[in-house]
Order: sequence, then structure tokens, then C-alpha cells
Amino acid sequence: MNFSLNEVEATAKRAARGAGYSWGIAEEAAKATRWLCHLGLDGSQALAKLLTRDFASNLKIHAPLAVGGKWCAEHDLCPLLTGAHLSDFASKLSGNTVELQNVACPTLLLPFAASAARTLNLCLTIECDGIETVTNGADVQVSRDIPARATKMLVYEVGRLTLPRARHSRFFPNLEDWEILNQFAHRTFAPATDESRLLGAGSGLSDND
Amino acid sequence: MKQFTNEVARREPAFVMRLKRLGSLHQCRLSFMRILTRRMACDGWTFSRSAFEIDARGVGHAVYAAKGPNRTYSLVAFAHDLPSEMRSDRVIAEAWDATFTLFDGVPTADDIERLSRNIPLQEAGRISEQELSLSRANRSVRLWGHVIDQLAKGQQPDLEKINSVGYLMRTTAVYGSGKFGAADRDKIATRDEMQAPFQAEMLSVYLTRTFVRDLVQHLANLRGGDAAVTLDPAIARQLGIGNSTGLGMAPFIINHPVLFNNWIMAREEAISRVRALKYASSSERQLFWNLLARSKLSVEAWRSKHPRQIEKLRQLKVDMTALAEWYQGDAPDQEYPWDRLVRWSGNTLSEEGQELVGSLILEPYGHLVDGLESCMADGNLEAFTIDGVMTTGDVRSLIRESFGWALDMNWNDPENCARAWYVSEEKLEPRMGERFEEPIADYEQPLAPARDAALAFRALEIFEPHQPIAEFLASHPEHRHTIRRAQMSQYAPYGEIRDNTISATVLPIDMLRAKLSFFGATHFDPRSDRWLRICMFSGAPYPEDLTEKNADFWVFPEVKN
Repeated sequence: MNFSLNEVEATAKRAARGAGYSWGIAEEAAKATRWLCHLGLDGSQALAKLLTRDFASNLKIHAPLAVGGKWCAEHDLCPLLTGAHLSDFASKLSGNTVELQNVACPTLLLPFAASAARTLNLCLTIECDGIETVTNGADVQVSRDIPARATKMLVYEVGRLTLPRARHSRFFPNLEDWEILNQFAHRTFAPATDESRLLGAGSGLSDND
Repeated sequence: MKQFTNEVARREPAFVMRLKRLGSLHQCRLSFMRILTRRMACDGWTFSRSAFEIDARGVGHAVYAAKGPNRTYSLVAFAHDLPSEMRSDRVIAEAWDATFTLFDGVPTADDIERLSRNIPLQEAGRISEQELSLSRANRSVRLWGHVIDQLAKGQQPDLEKINSVGYLMRTTAVYGSGKFGAADRDKIATRDEMQAPFQAEMLSVYLTRTFVRDLVQHLANLRGGDAAVTLDPAIARQLGIGNSTGLGMAPFIINHPVLFNNWIMAREEAISRVRALKYASSSERQLFWNLLARSKLSVEAWRSKHPRQIEKLRQLKVDMTALAEWYQGDAPDQEYPWDRLVRWSGNTLSEEGQELVGSLILEPYGHLVDGLESCMADGNLEAFTIDGVMTTGDVRSLIRESFGWALDMNWNDPENCARAWYVSEEKLEPRMGERFEEPIADYEQPLAPARDAALAFRALEIFEPHQPIAEFLASHPEHRHTIRRAQMSQYAPYGEIRDNTISATVLPIDMLRAKLSFFGATHFDPRSDRWLRICMFSGAPYPEDLTEKNADFWVFPEVKN
């Protein structure tokens, strides 16, 4: 079973919202997941794993705080909030290194670093417990599999893309992960009632004439 | 989009983007159907019917190919025998009279076999990257049987009946852009013929109209045998494809502020270019006069049973008479005639009439207007990225620019937030409900940008104006979507509707009409406050008749001598 990237994005957005993130963060999750899948990285797995950890029910303890030049949180950092922060503060990356401690599902941070790279119009290296990833915003080069959790991540301006990953127009998800996303997405749909069926979309004059 | 001249400014977003005005928009030169027919004629597209295997019950499939300079697109149509009680235009329907896909290329027998297992199921099936659209249509009960009966008997259908409906089938959804497995927009966005918005969907509907004409003729021939006659080409040409449109289109224009802006801004730029012309030549004036007369016929043929539309049509008919009188005065001979007309219409005509004028003055000026087609797609991928360095003061200014009118409203007043938009678990049908009467608030979609802007504006008050917005977002992720929209408004001044989309009195049909007018639809016929019917391609030449001469003004009915 394969999906269009539009379907990936729509499913990810609903899933993140269903898991309790705000609409704005859900939009970020959706674009991030699409970006990963476009470059052949399993965005749906990363997002499914993150949403299963239920950070959204107490997001404050997963939101980044800058302490002594390092970004950390009381518990593991949420990659969506941290990524959005990184992208928003892209200008801080120019000539500097940002260090992140204890990041959940760090794969999801890559698209945000890519967004920062596009803003700055340069290459960024993302080091994830020693595993290097380089992005220029549009493409990415990954040296080894990115772990499910990173103790230490570094993001800095340097690097060159020599072996960018192939781009893909379709995504072939692991069906278990996809099912998890759909279960979260389902939470955004209102249960059907007779009243809503009658009034919510239609009513009025006949539709069979 | 560069402003062509600074002599006449574009109309202000605060003026244009009111729902009542958006709900009065009309098709124009920049409508997607007309962009398509102009291009196909100009590039010499050829058309063929490579399969038509349909039995006496009307069941089978057909393939229509449209060949442009670089590639071929094929409509694959499946015809079904649908029991009347199953016929519904709602999203929640599960069977239809006919189902379609636009195939990218020429389908093989294996493709047809694969599609035959999926297209008839619509949302419950799967399509592939080879398909660009997925759609379905239902017969008009009022017209379908009548036309077949008449043709089979050797007679033409009753013109009054034809006029009162306008189409033999109506589409009830045309999906594209990656839906249900179809190819993403990215696959076709850089092709010349697909660069303008919704060209694949419009092509699918254009070919569907041909299929429907052929199908009705086929069934009449089978029934009538030697007695059957061919549908009069003049009647066939008058027939369009109907469309039933529900709430799904309203979220679309709110969820795509940059795209929607590009449509509106292209039309506004076109209007300002034409208003800036110092003189109109006699041939330009003659064309305007001719199309005004033809528009009058279109208005007279426009039927609706909806009380609000009946009143709007009554006013529009008065407007048409006033417009004719204006033209026959000396104003068209004076300097800046089109600017004078727009100013005069603003003081004299209803909004229906004013927007008809806005569209109609573009007609003689293809050389000034048509190039704007290329500005109507959304190619600004970076508009999504929030500029965290922008100060909170600047963001507040942007919010005030689009939503100043909403900032002091009492958003707790039930009148102001009576409605909530949600998605039902039943086939994901978009719906709108009563927030205080139904258990829907927890499922609310982000389709109240004005309310959300007011909330964000207030939350921003405690931040210093020089602080970067990134600092605000770090502690207020719940306002992220609003800040993004505010920043988009820098590039997309016409991206926000300047009305309350959740008020007790909101009319979603105004949003639906705004979008459909850009498709090129005519004869908007609201069936309630939240769904309407339209007609598409009525008057258009069929593929075999399409020429550069008739590719543009077909939307205006011919005046009979």
C-alpha cells in the first residue's frame, strides 16, 4: 500500500491534532512528516512513536528551555516544539552551535533544521549522538540510522551535501505505524448523529431531482 | 505580481473580501475553465474516443483522450445502473450513475481493469500516481429520461425543460491533488498546461460533458433504433455539466490563504489595469456591449428557488437594464471609461451587478489580463515558514490590518460564535453545526481566523513590541497557526475573509460561490445556506468543435437574431 504525500501530510496533521497538539504545531508535524517521507525517511513511524508517548497532555515539561547555552526540558524534549523553536530562531544558528539534550524521536527534528537551512540559505549539520546528518533544506544526507532517542544533539552551520538521498513521490508506510496515526486522526472526527447528518451539511431542497 | 500601473489602485482587501461580495463574484477571463479551453484551442489539442463499451442498461466504460503538444490525458468513465433510491449528491452517498478518473497518459487494458475495480467505489477505492482526479456524477432525474425518450421517438427534447435544468448529469465531487492515492499536485505543477490551478479537474469535467452527451445519445439510439434522432447540436452545446457543491469548499478557501489570495489578486490587478486605460476603442466598446447583451441572456436563464438568490437575481436584472442605459449615454466616449463605469456601478448597482461589471470590463483586454493566469497558482512554499525574528509589534500590525474589525468584538457572545465547523466520521464529510446545541466544539476545525486573530492579538499585549515573535510562540504554541496566517498576509493581502465565519448568520454558500466563480461556474443556485448547484461548461464547444475563435466567449449565450 502506498500513499501520496498529500495523504501523508493530511493524516499527520489530523493525527497530531488528535493527539492533543495545537493546530499550528499539527501543521508543523504534517509538513515535517511529508518532508521526511519525500526524502525516503520514515516520517510516519517517527510521528507514530512520538504521539504514542502522549507529550501533548503535559507539553510544558517537554518544551525547550535554554539553560547555559543548551536546550533541554524537565523530561525528554518534544521534537515538534523544539523543531518549531529551532526554525523560528534560525538566525541564532548562523555561526553558532545549538546543543539539545534528551530529544525524543530526533528524526522529526530534521525537517525543522531543513527549514532553518532554507531560511539561512546554507547547509546545516545535525549530529545525533554522533550520527551526522546534513541538509541544505531541500535535500538531506544521512550517514547512519537515526536512533529513536538522542541524548545529545548538535545543530551547526557547516557541511556539504555529497550524497543526497533520493527523492520520492510516494510513501510506503509500515502499516502498524500508519494505523496508529489513523487512530489518533480519528479523534478529530465528530461521531455521526442523526441531527448532524440531516443539518450539518445539507438539508434544504431535494438532491435527487 | 507586479502592479501594472499606479494610476488606479487595486480595490482594497477590506472592500473585496467581505463575504457578501465574495458571494456575488462572477466568472471572468481568468476563470479556470476558460484558461483551459483557450489553451487547448491555442495549442491545437486533438481529442479522440478510444473506447465506448456500454450496454443497453447503460453499464460499461468509455475512454476519451485529449492530446496536447507534450502529452496525453485520458478520461476513463464508468457508467452504472443505479437504483433511484440510492441517488444522492451528498458526500455520504456510496453509489453513483457514473464515475470517472483523469488518467495521466493513455491507459492500458490492465489499467482499465485496475480502475474498474476502484473508480466505481470512489472514496472506498484506491487510485495511483497515474491518476490525476477522481469524480462521480448523477443523472438529472428531471432531464435524463425525457431526453432519451424524446430522441428515441425521433423528437428533440423540450427546450423549456432543457433551460430549466441546464445539464444531463451533475458531478457531486471532483477530487484531485493526491486524494485517495492520486498523483500529488507536485507531479503536474510545472507542466505548462497544468500550471494554472485546477486544470486537471477542469479537463476531467470538460471531457465528462462529452461522455454524458454521447451516453444519452447511445441509450436513445439503442431504444429507438431507426426512429431515433441525433440531439440537436445547438441544444447539446447549451447543456453543461451540473455540480452539487457542499461545505468542503468553504474550508478550502480558508485553509489555502495564499492560493485564494492569488486568485482574487489576479482579478483585482486585471480590474485595475483595465480601469487605468484612458480610452476604449470602438471595437473594445463594441465587444463589451455585445457581451453585455449576451450576459443579459445568461442572467435571464438563471433559475433559483432560494429566496436570497431570487432577490439577488431580481436586483441583477434591474442592474442589467441600468448598465445598458449607462452604455448608451456618453460616458463610454469619455476618458477612463472603465474606471467611470466601476465608480458608477459602486454607487448604483447591487453587489451582484458591481462584480459582473468587474468581470465584464476585462473581456476586451485579453492582452492585459490573460498573462495573469500564471500568477494564480501557489508556488510560494516558504510562506509556511514562520519568521521568528519579526517583532510582536509588527505581527500585531499585520493582525490589525486583516482583522481590525474583529478585535473589539465580544467573542463570547453566542451570536458571534454560534457555529462550529467540524468533520464527521461519516466519510469525513465537512459539516457546520450549532456550538451550543450539539456536542461538536471539541472537534472544531480552525476555520474561524477572525476569532483566533482576536485571541492572539490579546495574548500579544503583554509582550514588548520589540520582542521577536519566536519568544511569544515559545510560550504560546496554541497561537502558532494564527501567527503563520498573519505573516502570510504580507504576501497575500486578499487571503483573509473579512467576516465572521462562525457567526449565527454566516452563509457558507457565499464561500462556495467565491471559489466556484473562479472555476468559471455560472447559474449559482443555492439549495440551502450550505450547499448549492451550479453549471459548468454550458455553451462550450465540444472537443471536435473547439477552435481559437470559439474558445473564449462560449460562456456568454449567443444572441438569436
